[in-house]
Amino acid sequence: MQKQFESRVLVCIQCGKCTGGCPESGRTPFNIRMLVRKRQFNYDIEKSLPWYCTSCNTCTLRCPRDVKPSEMIIEIRSFLVEEGNIPVTLQKSLENTFVHKNPWGKPRSKRSQWADKTDFKVPHISETRHKRLLFSCCIHAYDPRCMVIPINVANILNRAGYEFGILGDEECCCGNEIRRIGELGLFEELMEENSANFEKYEIKEIITLSPHCMNTFKKEYRDLGINVMHYTELLSKLISDGSLKTLKPLERDIIYHDPCFLGKQNNVFEQPRDILKSIEGIKMHEFTRSREISMCCEGGGGRMFFDVEVPYQRNSELRVLDAKKEGAHTIAVACPFCLMNLEDPAKEKDIFVKDISEILMEVI
Amino acid sequence: MDIIVLTKRVPVTQEEELKIAPDGSSVDLSRVPFRMNDWDSYAVEEAVRLCERHGGTITSVSIGDMESDEVLRRAIAMGAKDGCLIESNQTLLDPFVRANIFKNFIEKEQIPFNVILGGVQSEDDQFGTTCGILAAMLGLPFASMVIGIDEVKDNNLILRRELEGGIQERISIELPCVLSIQSGINEPRYVSIMGIRKASKVERRYFKAEKYIEEDSSNLISVTKLFYPPKKEGAIILHGEIEDICRQLIGILKEKGVLK
Repeated sequence: MQKQFESRVLVCIQCGKCTGGCPESGRTPFNIRMLVRKRQFNYDIEKSLPWYCTSCNTCTLRCPRDVKPSEMIIEIRSFLVEEGNIPVTLQKSLENTFVHKNPWGKPRSKRSQWADKTDFKVPHISETRHKRLLFSCCIHAYDPRCMVIPINVANILNRAGYEFGILGDEECCCGNEIRRIGELGLFEELMEENSANFEKYEIKEIITLSPHCMNTFKKEYRDLGINVMHYTELLSKLISDGSLKTLKPLERDIIYHDPCFLGKQNNVFEQPRDILKSIEGIKMHEFTRSREISMCCEGGGGRMFFDVEVPYQRNSELRVLDAKKEGAHTIAVACPFCLMNLEDPAKEKDIFVKDISEILMEVI
Repeated sequence: MDIIVLTKRVPVTQEEELKIAPDGSSVDLSRVPFRMNDWDSYAVEEAVRLCERHGGTITSVSIGDMESDEVLRRAIAMGAKDGCLIESNQTLLDPFVRANIFKNFIEKEQIPFNVILGGVQSEDDQFGTTCGILAAMLGLPFASMVIGIDEVKDNNLILRRELEGGIQERISIELPCVLSIQSGINEPRYVSIMGIRKASKVERRYFKAEKYIEEDSSNLISVTKLFYPPKKEGAIILHGEIEDICRQLIGILKEKGVLK
């Protein structure tokens, strides 16, 4: 792994900005400042602690000394992975990713089953002229709730006349979460397999549905000279240049939740909001903690595959309560992990969670 | 304590829609991923834990094509000292032939052992008898469905076996012996890709299966035909949009008196 991903615990001045912004701090036994201190002195670390981290990266972004505490967590986890000493559910996710190329252990032959439900036949990337790849991500490919997102985005792009293709069952997990769980060898294998396909089909552009895939393609894969973007970036552009028109008004109070991997980690704040603002009738609300200080849904860093044993009020529930307080009818999201995490508490509190593509499908 | 662990590479079929191959007597596995047989991974882990506590070496032995080398690498990454692949391209080797090959291999190559461990059964053929037949051929005591190795003594082991109805029995078995290991006896450790890459550098030994097959030992079992189970009547598949399906389902449950 390149030097940019190495932590620098020895230069930490224990200012506490990391703990101050951490979504786990104060409510769980996880204390990032304490872990950095222990690493400085090579003290033993309780093995359950590193698994609380959601990889939201707030600590690294706030750190004045570039210590990269979130990378330190990956380093600690990778030691535990090499020891074979990790929670069983994470072990299953890694083994599934090794065998089936997705953490859920679903067959690779069904990776593009969502494409059977689109309004048109989605072409394989080899059959396209512009070599623009729609990368689905594992959760969209297999989870029945999230599967609607690739179907929607494909239909929307088709209506806007934007040519694209898919890899079908040649696609494999991007590895973003795998790297954060600390399985660096497996991450390298996934990167090599995907990169080889990107090169084979001379891909010029990748449109990702998950900010997690976008993040790793942009920052952690070797540079392939491919333009990588999240689907909200593309749709916002298509709306502003007139290729995509929102036809119907939608009277609704909507609050947008910034996903960590899209917002604070990749500075995509405006485009998802621009899409929503382009729809007549929508009344936008904002969380107090939005944009750079958006509250993490706790879905990253392997937490989608593993739950900590200590009970506490989850961020997703707090987020839903905040949305309710702001008077929102719907929480708009642009990340499948946020969608899954927010929807459970939202159902109990009578508020809706919709992916931006779902809201767009109502108006075009 | 020297241990031989029998390991097998099997297709992962739980989520796959399997199809019968055009020849009518095999399953099309061309697009199915493979891995170490689940039960065998518990056997390897148990062997590693025994050696960590009591010393000794572990030799992992597999029968299969060259691809089966991957399960030996995994076993080595988990803690086995070395791996032996008995090369055979035959897809179905019945448990008698398998056990016979293992027996002749262990004797001819003088693989040292106090205990032979294997999984209770393999995920693909599910005969569940290889270890038992091997024990009989070697003239050794055998315990199946082992769910715990509680004590290791000089001449015997104290084991727990799983019986019907949730009952367990504690037995003493003389060494050397053969044990078939039940899943759940332990939690097999995670083997990282880096670990497997390191294990690849440990030299495995390759042998030809023909060398160990006796002239008069042919398959006692052969596949004559594979077929899909006949469709039964009585099931109703509901069609339509999800709301529609729910409405239909509730209607049926009310009609049957399940829902009031």
